[in-house]
Amino acid sequence: MEGNYYVCTGCGLLCDDIEVDLEKDAVSKVYTACRVGVAHMKEGSREASFLVDGKPVDEAAAVEKAAEILKNAKNPLIFGLGTSTNEAQKKAIGLAKKLNATLDDTSSFCLGPVVEALLQEKFKTCTLDDVRHKGDVMVFWGADPSDSHPRHLSKFSYFPRGEQKQKGWEEERTAIAIDIRKSHTAKICGSNFYQIPPGGDTEFINALIDGVSGKLPKTSFGYPPKKLLELANILKGAKYGTIFMGLGLLYSLESLDPIIKLVEVLNEKAKGEFHLIPMVGHYNMRGFNEHLFAETGYVNCVKFENGEAKHGTEYSTVEALKAKSVDAALIIGSDPLASLPRSIVKNLLDIPIISIDPCETLTSKKAAVHFSTALSGVECGGSAIRMDGVDVSFDPVLKTGRPSDEEILTKLTEVL
Amino acid sequence: MDFGSFLGAPELKVKIVTYRDIFQNKAMIEDRFGEEYKNSSALIKLDPSDLKNLNVKEGDTVTVKNSFGNIVVKAEESGYETAHKGIAYMPNSPWSNMLVSDETNGTGVPKFKDIEATVTSAKGAKVTDLEF
Repeated sequence: MEGNYYVCTGCGLLCDDIEVDLEKDAVSKVYTACRVGVAHMKEGSREASFLVDGKPVDEAAAVEKAAEILKNAKNPLIFGLGTSTNEAQKKAIGLAKKLNATLDDTSSFCLGPVVEALLQEKFKTCTLDDVRHKGDVMVFWGADPSDSHPRHLSKFSYFPRGEQKQKGWEEERTAIAIDIRKSHTAKICGSNFYQIPPGGDTEFINALIDGVSGKLPKTSFGYPPKKLLELANILKGAKYGTIFMGLGLLYSLESLDPIIKLVEVLNEKAKGEFHLIPMVGHYNMRGFNEHLFAETGYVNCVKFENGEAKHGTEYSTVEALKAKSVDAALIIGSDPLASLPRSIVKNLLDIPIISIDPCETLTSKKAAVHFSTALSGVECGGSAIRMDGVDVSFDPVLKTGRPSDEEILTKLTEVL
Repeated sequence: MDFGSFLGAPELKVKIVTYRDIFQNKAMIEDRFGEEYKNSSALIKLDPSDLKNLNVKEGDTVTVKNSFGNIVVKAEESGYETAHKGIAYMPNSPWSNMLVSDETNGTGVPKFKDIEATVTSAKGAKVTDLEF
C-alpha cells in the first residue's frame, strides 16, 4: 500500500491500513484499527529486559543460561510462535531440528486440523479479498468475528463495496450465523441466525446436506425442517459463498468429513462456487502451519529425530505435558499457563521454562529465563501469512532497544 | 431457630460454553494482571431462571466448581432472548481454564467449550485471584 500505512498484527486479519501518531517514541493515537488493534498498537515501548530466575541480567547471560537448559534437556518442547514473524518461525523450526525437540504451536488445540486439510487441498478455499470483491453469501459457523476478528465484516466480508458487489450488504450480500448462542455477529445476521444446541453441528451439517440435495432435513433435536430448507435454499442460490469456520464448529465435530462434504455438495448444487476459510486467530498461526508443512508435511505436533520429523498427537503440547514427556520448554510469544487448562498445564511448572515474549505473562513470571522481546509489527518488522494465506510484509512503527524473537532464536541457535 | 440454616444453598448443574469477548481481549492486551481484565473474564452468564433458582442476583459472586477446580466469579444474566436453562457461558480466560478437564482422549484438544460444573451462591466472597 502507498502512504504511511502500518499493518496491525493484533489478529489473523493483518489489517494493512493503519495510521498512527507518535509522541515521545510511543504510539499515542491509532486510526482505522479496531478496539483490539488500538490496544495492540499501543502495546510497545517497553524497556528491554532479560531475567534469569527473576533477576535482571544482560542479554548474553540470558542466552547462555537458556542454551544450558536446552543443552541439558533430553526432549525439550518448543511451543508458541503464533505471534512471531515468518522469519522467526523458520528459525525456531531449525532450532527444533538441531535440538531433536518436540515442536508444536497453539493450532494443535485450535484450528490446526482445518489448516492442515486446507493445505492438503481437501476443500476449496479463497482469499478475503475474493470475498470482499465477489462474496454474496457468507456463513459464520461457530465463529464470532465481531469479537475475535473485529474488522472482518467491515473490511472484507459483509459491509464493504467490492468490485462486483457495488450495492453491498443492503442488496447483494447475505450474512448467516450458525451458533449455539446469539453472538454479536449473530445479531448482525438478524433473521439469518440459526441457533443450534451445543454439540448439534454434525447433525445440522448432515441435515443441511439433505436439504441442499432435495431430501427432507431432519435432526434429533427437532430443528424445524422449513427453516433448514430456507437456509439450504439461500446457500444453493449463492454465486460466491464462503463458510468461515470457527472453533465453536471445530470443537463440536468428531471429524472434519461432514463439513468438507457440505462444501463439496454445495459446489455441486449451488449456482456458483463455495469455499471454506478457517478463522485463524493469531496473526501468524497460519504462517507457522505452512512453514512446518513445507518442511515436514505436518502443520504441528512433531518431534525431530536426526533431522526427521515424527508426527502424532502424543507430540502435541497438551499430550506431551500430560505425559510429562518433555523436560524443558522454550515458549515463544505464548502464555500457556493462561491459555491451557490448569489441570494439564500445571505440569509445566515441574520443568524449566524459557520465555521469549514482549509481555509479562503468567508463564514469563514462572520462567527460569525470560527475554522481553520486540512486539512484532510494532517494534520490529517482518512478514506473516494472513488467515486466508496471503503474504503480508510489515515495517516497525517504533524503534526499540528490545531484540526481536528472531534475533534471540538466532543467537540461541549459534550458541547451541 | 433459623430453620433455613439446615438447608443447603441451592446448587445448579451447568454445562459451560466459553466464548471470546472483544472488550475482554482489549483489557488483556492493556494489562493481563489488571482489574479490567479480571472484571471482564471472571464471570459466568446464566439464564435468568437459573439465577432465580440459585437465589443469586446479577453481580453477586458464585462458586463454580468441579473435580478440576473451584473458582469464585461474578454471576451475570446472559441477556439472550432464547431460554438456555442449564447452559452457562464464560469468556475464555485463565478462570474458565481452571475448570477444564484434563481428559482429552489422547487428541491433544481439551474440552475448552464443554465444561461440566456446579454453581452455588458465594454472596460476599471475593473473585478468585489470578495466580499460580
